[in-house]
Amino acid sequence: MHCNLTRVEMKIENTKAQMRKGVLEYCILSILKSGEAYPSEIIDKLKEAKLIVVEGTLYPLLTRLKNAGILTYRWEESKSGPPRKYYQLTKIGEEFLKELETTWNELVKAVKLTSK
Amino acid sequence: MNQTVTINISGIVFHIELDAYEDLKNYLNKIKSYFKNSEECEDIMSDIEARIAELFSEKMSDLNQVILRKDVDEVITIMGKPEQYIDEDSEEQHEAPRAEKRTNSTEKKFFRNPDERVLGGVASGIASYFGFDTIWARLFFVLTTLFVGFGPLLYIILWIVIPEAKTASDRLQMKGDPINIDNIGKTVQDEAGKVNEKLKNVNGSKIGHILERIFNGIIAVIKTIFKAAGKLIGAICLLFGLLFAVWFIMGLVDDSVIFSYTSEGITGIESSELFELMFATADQFYLFLICLIVVIVIPIIGLMFAGVKLLFGVKGNGAITISLSILWFIGLFAAITLGLKTASDQKSSQKEISSTYLSSTTDVIYLKASEKTIPGEVMLELDDFSLALDEKYLYSNEIELTIKESQTDSVEMIIETRSNGKNRKKALENVRSINYDFEVADSLIKFDEFLTTPRAQRMRNQSIRITLKLPLGKAVYLDESLNGLIYDIDNVTDTWDRKMIGEKWVMLPNGLTCLDCSEIDGIKTEDITAKIEKEKDELESAENE
Repeated sequence: MHCNLTRVEMKIENTKAQMRKGVLEYCILSILKSGEAYPSEIIDKLKEAKLIVVEGTLYPLLTRLKNAGILTYRWEESKSGPPRKYYQLTKIGEEFLKELETTWNELVKAVKLTSK
Repeated sequence: MNQTVTINISGIVFHIELDAYEDLKNYLNKIKSYFKNSEECEDIMSDIEARIAELFSEKMSDLNQVILRKDVDEVITIMGKPEQYIDEDSEEQHEAPRAEKRTNSTEKKFFRNPDERVLGGVASGIASYFGFDTIWARLFFVLTTLFVGFGPLLYIILWIVIPEAKTASDRLQMKGDPINIDNIGKTVQDEAGKVNEKLKNVNGSKIGHILERIFNGIIAVIKTIFKAAGKLIGAICLLFGLLFAVWFIMGLVDDSVIFSYTSEGITGIESSELFELMFATADQFYLFLICLIVVIVIPIIGLMFAGVKLLFGVKGNGAITISLSILWFIGLFAAITLGLKTASDQKSSQKEISSTYLSSTTDVIYLKASEKTIPGEVMLELDDFSLALDEKYLYSNEIELTIKESQTDSVEMIIETRSNGKNRKKALENVRSINYDFEVADSLIKFDEFLTTPRAQRMRNQSIRITLKLPLGKAVYLDESLNGLIYDIDNVTDTWDRKMIGEKWVMLPNGLTCLDCSEIDGIKTEDITAKIEKEKDELESAENE
């Protein structure tokens, strides 16, 4: 399937993926702003927002954010399955999110301004 | 009835159908290999496994205890394939497998075949590469061993240079099958089958197992020794390779070097022009030269490459190795063919004899070499042999002068002209094209010191043998200039040719005798003079009677 894409189509796909990737991190942090959550909850919200298609996308991102000190987690036993990791923002994460919010607002303005 | 397996994902136990299990395993392996280069691999895997366990748990109920293939498919759809992940490194990680695919394609490579081997799998590797049956490659090595003798050497070189097919993709490349998942899968399954068979055989007896372990231990020790020795041998190979290369390049610069090694004892050859004349045509000579260079250069390259390979563990390029080996054999074959052909041009040896009677009235005949020097450019000079060339002719001093007793009263000069040739006719043609001059002026004979032959006749061992037949009582004076001409002249005192010059020699019934030597080999002049007087008296008295 991929092989049949033309150059232009590939370029479009690539740009879309880049945009989504940038926004995805911001959205994950926004979800966690209101309190801790475990991956399935985050996934549900992201799917609802049509930001991700497959769940596998989330796990590497969470791991990298955690390793960057932006997120932290605690274990909690689950009745229906294996223990769950509940993620929450760290202090650095909160500051990071504030900066992202500013940047986002600037970007929205920029897009609005340029696309008028 | 379906077989089920029990698995543990994130600490939860599931029963899963065998097919479903295979699918799940493949899926997890795929993700793992996708993230294998990142530090977070472990974390990501455990998170993903936890999520999968969660999804499975949701599906399980009292009625539904077993995970089926469709459940795994659903989970995979939810989780997505690694290619679908939006990931920070996605571009890099997409590039890598693509590049790999390109190089792996269907290109054939030379590998030794470890599945089908007697010694090192060289023969079956060659057979796989060219796509014929292994038996022919083996037959080739056996025949070259029996009849030509280089088989074992070639085998060992190939064994060292060609890498063994170790992985499934190596094996496919060895056979030239395209490398894709299906084919690799097939090869891996074949292999698994083989391993199982082997295990069965070994498990048959405990002794077999112990023997195998001992054997493996010995092999490990030998391998270690060989690895250490390999480095040393590699260094030696490289050193010798470089030395030979230097020797060869110097030989190219000064072409005398090459040939002074090939033709024993000949030194100081100044040009290959002369060698060209040994061949039927100049083209054949240059072809022979090229073949000779190929036959010499390829082993030097091989030696250096083997050295580098052993020292630094560089992988060999099978295609180049086999091309060079083939080229070497072609070169060798052509050189031998040309050599044999050239030798056959000398097969027939013919001679012609001409005779001249000299009407000399004096008692003493004076023999001298003419003042003419050898024309053309001197190409080869040995102790008493020299060859010269100019544009049209070839000059050689292959001339022998000897003196024998004449059966008649007159002085007779017999000239024997000899030459080789491809056949009798060609040899005779060569004989007749030889030109040789001598001058007779009363009692003085002047001999040319060289014979002349047209260049077109090539070098075919042309030579002249002069026999001067001297009647009894006649004497010759051998001038100092004859040094290079006279050859093995019989005389009473067994005096050396070189010592005979500068003296007068008389033919007596016993043979040539020195007339006025002061002292030769312990015989005093008085004795000889007395002897001659005595013999003269006897001759006279015989005549008187």
